[in-house]
Amino acid sequence: MKTGFLFPHRYRLIGWVVFVPSLVLGLAYMYADFGFEFLTVFVPEKSEVRGWKIDGWPINLTDELAALGIVAGLLMVGFSKEKTEDEMVSRLRLDALQWSVYVNYGILAVAILLVHGSEFLQVMTYNLFTVLLVFVVRFRWLVFRNAQASLPALAL
Amino acid sequence: MKTRLKVARAEQNRSQAEVAEAIGVSRQTINSIETGRYVPSTVLALKLARLFETPVEALFQLEETD
Repeated sequence: MKTGFLFPHRYRLIGWVVFVPSLVLGLAYMYADFGFEFLTVFVPEKSEVRGWKIDGWPINLTDELAALGIVAGLLMVGFSKEKTEDEMVSRLRLDALQWSVYVNYGILAVAILLVHGSEFLQVMTYNLFTVLLVFVVRFRWLVFRNAQASLPALAL
Repeated sequence: MKTRLKVARAEQNRSQAEVAEAIGVSRQTINSIETGRYVPSTVLALKLARLFETPVEALFQLEETD
């Protein structure tokens, strides 16, 4: 079956290997003030950002690394081919994607109503990843449930 | 949509795994079609019909609710 824009099957494992450490790194950055020293860079002296003149402003790229790792990892986990990639798997993937968009924006709508001020920034931070995260969980669950439902037929 | 794929398979003494491999899908997909959890595409239905050397409508038929 022709499948467009899917990674080879082995990328699913690579995706987990990238995602899990990136998630830990991201959480450590947010809650334990952790950052890699070697990822601190300085904006060149006398650079100008939106009209502001900045002299040697230090930026730590730990959170950028973690965020990119989480996104790349989840994309590889969610969009790698199954061992037997066929039209039913495509259907399950599409169902999971639709479900995750609904759930994501449902949660976001509640957060918009209940969370205000600067705390909303944290909501947005998590919201960067929840569509992909919910999609991966839902898709794996659908594949697992489908495999379970097919088990009794092994006896035939 | 109702299907008599399971019956046709039994008549020709083929396992789900054999049918799945012959048309390039997973065994779970064949199982899902037989139990009505999944409605195959036209291409897949035609492949199944060709494999069983029968018209598509001998394997799949519309129901009142379709």
